[in-house]
Amino acid sequence: MADIVFGIWDGQIVHNGKSELWAPKLAPLQDIAEYEPGNPIQAIMGWDGFFVFDPSVDLVDMARAYMEVVQRESCGKCVPCRMGTRVAVDLLTRIADGKGSEEDIHTLRKVARLVREGSMCELGHTGMNGVLYLLDHYEGVFRESITKGVRHPRRSYHTKVTAPCIEACPERLDIPAYIDYIRSGRYTDSLSIIQEKNPLASVCGRVCVRFCEFACRRGMLDDPVDIKHLKRFVSDVELEAAVKKQAKEVRIAPDAKRVAIVGAGPAGITAAYHLLRKGYRVEIFEAMDEPGGWAAFGIPDYRLPRQVLRNEAEVVLEMGGQIHYNQRLGKDFTLKDLRDRGFDAIFLAIGCQLGTSLGIPGEELQPKGYYPGVEFLKRVNRNEPIEMGSKVVVVGGGNVAMDCSRSSLRMGAKEVHLVYRRTKAEMPADKVEIHEAEEEGVHFHFLTNPTRLLVEDGRVVGMECIRMELGEPDKSGRRRPVPVEGSEFVIECDMVLPAIGQKMDVSCLGDPPVLKLSRWNTVEVNPDTLQTSLECVFAGGDCVSGPATLIEAMAAGFRVSHSIDQYLRFGRVELTEEERMSRVLRAVAAVDEDMVDRLGRGVQRIQIPTRTVEERVDDFEEVEMGWAPEDALLEADRCLRCYRILLVATEK
Amino acid sequence: MTILMDGMRLNAREGQTILDVAREHDIRIPTLCYHEKLKPIGSCRMCIVEVEGSSTPVAACTTAVSDGMIVRTHTPDLVELRRETLKLIFLKHPMNCAACEINGNCQLQDLAHEYDINHTDLHTYNIRPVEPEPGPYATPLIQYHPRRCILCGRCVQACVEITEVGAINFKGRGALARIAPVERMGSIKPECVSCGECMAVCPVNALTEALGKKRGKAWETRKVKTTCTYCGCGCQLELNAVGETVTAVTPVDGGVNRGALCSKGRFGYDFINHHERLKTPLIRENGTWREANWDEALDFVAKRLVDIRSESGPDAIGALASARCTNEENYLFQKFIRGVIGTNNVDHCARL
Ligand SMILES: Cc1cc2nc3c(=O)[nH]c(=O)nc-3n(C[C@H](O)[C@H](O)[C@H](O)COP(=O)(O)OP(=O)(O)OC[C@H]3O[C@@H](n4cnc5c(N)ncnc54)[C@H](O)[C@@H]3O)c2cc1C
Ligand code: SF4
Ligand code: SF4
Ligand code: SF4
Ligand code: SF4
Ligand code: SF4
Ligand code: FES
Repeated sequence: MADIVFGIWDGQIVHNGKSELWAPKLAPLQDIAEYEPGNPIQAIMGWDGFFVFDPSVDLVDMARAYMEVVQRESCGKCVPCRMGTRVAVDLLTRIADGKGSEEDIHTLRKVARLVREGSMCELGHTGMNGVLYLLDHYEGVFRESITKGVRHPRRSYHTKVTAPCIEACPERLDIPAYIDYIRSGRYTDSLSIIQEKNPLASVCGRVCVRFCEFACRRGMLDDPVDIKHLKRFVSDVELEAAVKKQAKEVRIAPDAKRVAIVGAGPAGITAAYHLLRKGYRVEIFEAMDEPGGWAAFGIPDYRLPRQVLRNEAEVVLEMGGQIHYNQRLGKDFTLKDLRDRGFDAIFLAIGCQLGTSLGIPGEELQPKGYYPGVEFLKRVNRNEPIEMGSKVVVVGGGNVAMDCSRSSLRMGAKEVHLVYRRTKAEMPADKVEIHEAEEEGVHFHFLTNPTRLLVEDGRVVGMECIRMELGEPDKSGRRRPVPVEGSEFVIECDMVLPAIGQKMDVSCLGDPPVLKLSRWNTVEVNPDTLQTSLECVFAGGDCVSGPATLIEAMAAGFRVSHSIDQYLRFGRVELTEEERMSRVLRAVAAVDEDMVDRLGRGVQRIQIPTRTVEERVDDFEEVEMGWAPEDALLEADRCLRCYRILLVATEK
Repeated sequence: MTILMDGMRLNAREGQTILDVAREHDIRIPTLCYHEKLKPIGSCRMCIVEVEGSSTPVAACTTAVSDGMIVRTHTPDLVELRRETLKLIFLKHPMNCAACEINGNCQLQDLAHEYDINHTDLHTYNIRPVEPEPGPYATPLIQYHPRRCILCGRCVQACVEITEVGAINFKGRGALARIAPVERMGSIKPECVSCGECMAVCPVNALTEALGKKRGKAWETRKVKTTCTYCGCGCQLELNAVGETVTAVTPVDGGVNRGALCSKGRFGYDFINHHERLKTPLIRENGTWREANWDEALDFVAKRLVDIRSESGPDAIGALASARCTNEENYLFQKFIRGVIGTNNVDHCARL
């Protein structure tokens, strides 16, 4: 544990072990003594304070370096930040060079106030806080430089520019930047920012679970910025041009190293995209006959039209990658075959393909009318034959359950019942999804659990359920539902779709499996590097995390492209600078009592137009319609641009 | 809804900004980057106002009003902040009004006057000079002066919103920021069409005509509202003249063009004072041209048309109209050729 010699954050002081900050919150900060192995952190400076771990750190030089980053990151659009931070850099440089005057400290304070009060965005509002705090608590150090003419040699620091929404996004998209480009009508620039990391912008723009929006600081004023639909907007406008553009940029040498990717889901596609950009020869082996994984054959067309996904997945081919369809690991080839065919590294991204069963009597009969939820969706999506019932019961509370319910309606079911063992507030499904399912007439049964499948002549005829009530909180703090004895009742139905989770099909890894598996029967990897128990094999996405989300799978694909790149070039894999800084940032964020205390620009959140229930419930056409440019612009204008800068001084 | 501004209860509507409401009620809030024709930009920070509940001032031009909002527009603190902001602008912008073409017609100059900014003021900041590296602007017709540019962003926005091209944008960071053509984006490069909309909205004279003569000073310039002669659109514009010499074209509000112009209408005015310009009709006699007056010329044409028609029939006559005439004029012309002369031999140069 590292001792904080002095620190201040949000105006609260930590001094020689005594702390006004809540100790548990401070703990993570004290835990990250080293930036990288053998390189201790001396000080951290940020948007609302600083922490000193090692008193020998040169605060004057650090302040100058911090201001130089602010000036370098200032977008130059508003006067106070553009010129004011430049004034601050010059003043601090003078002081650090031993040529400052008493007057400079006064001017520095004055200009700091102007930058904080007058700037347009949060970078300006927060950019000079750290320096102000240093002046308040270490003014003597600055004065000494001035009176004695001390020179402070320049050192280098680790710095990072980020925002809460960026950090919340598993792929760390530069959200404020792409929103800002929409605000100024520059859609191509905007999409380029997204595509720096994310090749499936219009897919994410439709179905991402939007971690970023839950972290969005605009939410503290009214509603979060509608980041997801802004992404959809630019990708709709600019898609065609953008796909072609990326394809032109890549150069792949004929003798470049070769990477095999198993699975063309979001994780696989993203990894291929980044590896191709890095110049590797990439081939994907996919069991099905189309790209996209669950995004293609799971998510229904009314949320994500198939053509949208296909267009974007094309990019892998346009860039010179190959996709071999109908190639199933474990049936058509093994991992060893890939090695033998000369691939230098392998990325396993096979997702979780099997639906979890309910574990209730009757299921083992596999009666007619019983389909695992994901299997049902796959058949719907792929136009494969289904014996559709007229009264459907769906079990589960996540997005897959919503998809099953709403797709059943569209397939002609007269009645759809959704059974979930907890309450509505605890449903993991997206609130918008729940709302739309309600609108479409899905009957919800909360605090209800299935106990038995009723089967006659090999057909489902009903499902016995039991009522639940909330008992004691479990480890996660959620109150655990317990059955109410004797409250069994039967829902008559001719179709049952369990949608309570998926698991990985481990059989494709051979018996015994060639890779080490985790406790949850997923592939075990080093969480930092995604390397498996076999050195040249990496894995990511649902097959590592268990069923999760699109963007997490894509982030794994992005992460693995670094790992594979490092592995193929240096033979070992390390954290990237971005990831190291994020680690420090998370520790700092833990002590940060974030709040927005000034009004934001722009109006209330702009609603996305949707088709009416009558229009939409009989077909699979998209429910949400896009924005017109005017609306996108108004929404983009709501972003506060919460950029913040973190600086870490280390020994080396 | 109502809001309280400087102690006065004012009516406001959903969707208005603080600045909108202030202007509607004749409360003056200083602005520099705001332009009626453009979406609020919010870059100059001159319009900052205090709003109760907000720990720092906000820009009046970009902040929406809400019911019961309490706004103060002219506290001593605000005046001080605005003044400091102006000083920062003048750290780069040369205070050289006497030699400046738009002297007397400049919003920045007005503000400097209002807030008493002078040279000695700037010494407190005493920074290294800021010289953004020069670079070409988007087009040969328009010249960009990076030192004069205050980076209000109006030009960038005009190019996106009015011209819908997006040829220019901010480039560089911090104090080194300047306006520059956007770089090629893959296969797409928005190309400047030299319309000059950017120039028309520039609040200082950072964008000037590269080929034009020196503009006259505001107080010696006469402005004449007229219709552009280049095509049938009928754009309204103002010729700026010093004495009998046209020195510039400026937009006027309204008209079919709502103030916008194309490169011909805006930059193509040097023909007016050209010595070879036709000023009367000419009649060719014995292979040479002689000057005539309109009556004479029209009589001559009418007589020849009648003669040819009676000698060789109407189809011996063909007619071609100019694209510089209006639609209505073109309609009348074909009506005349068909109805009076009696032939369908009529066409229009835009088809050639
Ligand atoms: C119905 C449904 C709705 C969802 N809705 C959302 C949503 O709205 N938002 C969201 O963020 N997430 C959603 N998800 C989750 C999201 O789709 C997944 O988390 C994501 O697709 C995981 O990506 P992946 O690449 O890891 O795996 P997958 O998408 O499962 O892709 C794996 C690929 O590997 C192939 N494959 C499998 N086994 C083999 C093998 N042995 N050999 C070769 N290839 C193989 C598969 O055919 C597939 O193409 C949803 C999931 C489902 C099922
Ligand atoms: S980064 Fe923000 S505060 Fe700084 S110049 Fe740009 S808009 Fe202004
Ligand atoms: S307001 Fe903008 S920058 Fe701030 S968290 Fe939300 S999206 Fe990100
Ligand atoms: S642009 Fe305005 S402020 Fe600048 S020199 Fe010319 S008249 Fe003066
Ligand atoms: S002249 Fe027209 S097209 Fe060219 S940069 Fe200016 S506004 Fe854009
Ligand atoms: S060129 Fe003129 S309009 Fe454009 S940013 Fe500079 S000052 Fe503003
Ligand atoms: S007029 Fe509002 S910021 Fe410039």
